[in-house]
Amino acid sequence: MQHRREYHIVILGAGGVGKSCLTSQFVHNEWIEYYDPTIEDVYRKVIDVDGRSCILEILDTAGTEQFTAMREIYMKAGQGFLLVYSITSLSTLTELSDLRDQILRIKEADSVPLVIVGNKSDLEEDRAVRRDRAIMLSQKWGRVPFYETSARKRQNVDEVFLDLCRQMMRADVGGSGSGGGASGGSSEKVYQTPRKRRFCVIL
Amino acid sequence: MSVTTMLAPSARNSTSSTSSSFVPVTRQNTIGSDGAPRSVRASKRYSVTALYLSMSAQDKDMEIEDELARVQKTLRDLKSRISSQSKKNFVLEKDVRYLDSRIALLIQNRMALEEQNEVASHFDESSELQEGTFPDDRKTQQYGNLFFLLQSEPRHIAALCRLVNMAEIDSLLQTVMFTIYGNQYESREEHLLLTMFQSVLSAQFDTTPEYSSLLRANTPVSRMMTTYTRRGPGQSYLKVVLAKQINNLIELKDLNLEINPLKVYERMVKNVEEDTGTLPANMPRSVSAEEAAENPQVQAIIEPRLTMLMELANTFLSTIIDNINETPYGIRWICKQIRSLTRRKYPDAKDNIICTLIGGFFFLRFLNPAIVTPRSYMLIDNIPSEHPRRTLTLIAKMLQNLANKPSYSKEPYMAKLSPFVTANKNRISKFLNDLCEVGDFYESLEMDNYVALSKKDLELNITLNEVYATHNLLEKHAKELLQGRDTEHLTILLQELGPAPPQVPRKENRAIILPLFSRWESALDDLSAALDITQEDVYFMEAKSIFVQLLRTLPPISAAVRRPLNLKKIADVAATTKDIGTFRKGIRGLELLNQLKDLGVISEVDEYQILREEVEQELVHLGSLKEKVTEESLKLDEVYKTIRDHNAYLVSQLETYKSYLHNVRSQSEGKQRGKQQKQHVLGPYKFTHQQLEKEGVIQKSNVPDNRRANIFFTITSPTPGTFVISLHYKGRNRGLLELDLKLDDLLEMQQNNHDELDLEYVQFNVPKVLALLNKRFARKKW
Repeated sequence: MQHRREYHIVILGAGGVGKSCLTSQFVHNEWIEYYDPTIEDVYRKVIDVDGRSCILEILDTAGTEQFTAMREIYMKAGQGFLLVYSITSLSTLTELSDLRDQILRIKEADSVPLVIVGNKSDLEEDRAVRRDRAIMLSQKWGRVPFYETSARKRQNVDEVFLDLCRQMMRADVGGSGSGGGASGGSSEKVYQTPRKRRFCVIL
Repeated sequence: MSVTTMLAPSARNSTSSTSSSFVPVTRQNTIGSDGAPRSVRASKRYSVTALYLSMSAQDKDMEIEDELARVQKTLRDLKSRISSQSKKNFVLEKDVRYLDSRIALLIQNRMALEEQNEVASHFDESSELQEGTFPDDRKTQQYGNLFFLLQSEPRHIAALCRLVNMAEIDSLLQTVMFTIYGNQYESREEHLLLTMFQSVLSAQFDTTPEYSSLLRANTPVSRMMTTYTRRGPGQSYLKVVLAKQINNLIELKDLNLEINPLKVYERMVKNVEEDTGTLPANMPRSVSAEEAAENPQVQAIIEPRLTMLMELANTFLSTIIDNINETPYGIRWICKQIRSLTRRKYPDAKDNIICTLIGGFFFLRFLNPAIVTPRSYMLIDNIPSEHPRRTLTLIAKMLQNLANKPSYSKEPYMAKLSPFVTANKNRISKFLNDLCEVGDFYESLEMDNYVALSKKDLELNITLNEVYATHNLLEKHAKELLQGRDTEHLTILLQELGPAPPQVPRKENRAIILPLFSRWESALDDLSAALDITQEDVYFMEAKSIFVQLLRTLPPISAAVRRPLNLKKIADVAATTKDIGTFRKGIRGLELLNQLKDLGVISEVDEYQILREEVEQELVHLGSLKEKVTEESLKLDEVYKTIRDHNAYLVSQLETYKSYLHNVRSQSEGKQRGKQQKQHVLGPYKFTHQQLEKEGVIQKSNVPDNRRANIFFTITSPTPGTFVISLHYKGRNRGLLELDLKLDDLLEMQQNNHDELDLEYVQFNVPKVLALLNKRFARKKW
């Protein structure tokens, strides 16, 4: 049997943004209906990425900020990170910057495999974060891949994990992490879509 | 019954007998935790208490120096030391957090010189804050009015909490939790703070569409509530219910209670491989979760662990339940608010949903974080090793599962622990409901506020920067804030104060004592008129107070203090002493005896029996009070020691950073070491589109050619290392676009070979921007 690479993914983000729902959809194809705050959950899944099979160990963390003291240990162990916010709350997006800073600090690296995930895209009527806010952040971080997902509708769920896997595989091959970078392949990336220029409207 | 309850004035303590056992001298501790509804009589009794307390608050001319007074003073000092030390630690923690991130950049050699200076300035004078005063009396008075208003009408702060963003929360949090309501053991401040929480909580319930998203997000309020739970009383509680068990557990370093079949399997494989050097054919290196769970060897390992985990979790749970009365009043009261808000907002909510929400506060935000990371809650000295850490996490998960409907679909193996959930479901539900059974304080708060008004010496220990930062936040959010009801007073005060001053440099920051007073209400001279009590009550209370004080003052060998008490004789003896205070009390005592006699309340025939009995009871109560006070002092001594230790740890952390920074700076010596960076705003500097294009700063522009002449940019540096770039269109006062930049963000982009800075209409070249900023803003330093 071919030896499968094992990758450690850590899911981070504020409370209630849907980290567990996203993970549970990805791993078990299941939608969690009721409130069940996470303290620390571990999942494992074998997936096929571009013809290569690998094992993902996914650590779903507490969004409740009172558990922040545990983050350092998670970050040390993690190789790839999903930074999740909810498109219905701007503060959940702004919280991501601190998380990324902490990851880079702990990893003592300039970049790590990472994906920005704007979850709850099915709640368009409650949207409080425009796409370009996240795109700005993605730009600022050196074009980190950014997706909007809906864990409820299972939209873009596999894509974020696959993108992260590709990044981790590349980092694995290239030795030092080569940053967010454009991952090849099929997945559409939001920041590549042409942006509306507010300019003409305003003038 | 908790010590706290014992110390509370009797009116709050409806389980006590009809005797009124008041706590003279101080009113620092009036937080009871029993929940029976207060009777009308008790309510009236409370009014009397308030009056009584206000009398003793005003009455400073008599210092009692008996044993009780001494232990009470010790306790009072301890409490105020805990309050002020907590604040110091909070500030230190903030510094350490800040430096944590800065130092990392330094290590990666990515910090501009000027920012190194700024970091260095963090250390300058970072020791003790100098004391000082406001530059002028008018400001002192105006800010005194403002902070009195903010403190006594918590709705303004509550409104502000809803408006601020997470970036602004730190400064607000500090001022609110450690300054405005910083006396952790003072009932009025505690109650005002809780009122503030209630108002924000209820707003949160109003704006949250479904309960499942309630109390989940990290908001300014959730942070405040957490900070609240971590103050002195919460800390004592965690020590009581958790410290011993956690310490027992972490001593068992090798006790592995992992029950995740995959992990168990992995370790098993690893052990076999290490022991035999090879793996048997029927033991593949990696298996699926299902395969691992079905493996009989794995099952055999897990089975006893499950039992043990359930036993452990049960011990934790029992200790928590048994110590319900140790739970701080305020924390229970918050639980109560969550319950009543849920019932009001979602009338159909089942009991389990209410439990879920209470558990979402009590377990998720208070107890479980302390179980999972006990070191950050100062419950243990070292970070636990791997196995105990995992066990603690599992216990926390089990407790959380009790409060919530667990979804075993997340981690199927947790379903094996469902017997624990089933067995304790009712227990936890009862406990969470019992937690909510505490009395309200609105009435006592009203009284406390009367008392506060009549006290002449209400003041706030605050720093200049706290004052200015609060003013700043109020100013910034004034539009929304002043839309609310009853904000005329705040409007007037803010108008009079004018624009908020900027923060002063650390070195110039001062701790000041701000006298608080209301501009609109004057002290109540006749409190009895404002309260629902008669003149008889007033005299009776005063008489009782005076005789108790006299008995505590007169030498114990004096014939006057012999039982049965002879009140007239006591007053006579006092009226002949040389001590002016005692003398006055004696005279007043005699007067009161006569007045009460004339009113027919007491009679000389039975030697003033009613009053005499109350005085005697009070003395008995005071006797046992002494022991309680001593006991509480011992407990708080522990808490104080813990936070002192934590302080020492933080200080040493800062020292490490300091020496590191010193090294780095002496390496880059020769440039301009030691020059103090001034904190004033630089800019704005104006640049035309053409100019920037020519310099290559603009590398791409989407502005139509014929419009470019109308476009200009301004760059401001509000603090060293931060810049605001705005894009303007001629003829419009407001910029079209604003971008906040940190120098290290730019450096980081440069580091990542990412040279585009997107301003939507134009794209800047990062290295060129850096060059421009260096030229423009660095030159000003020399």
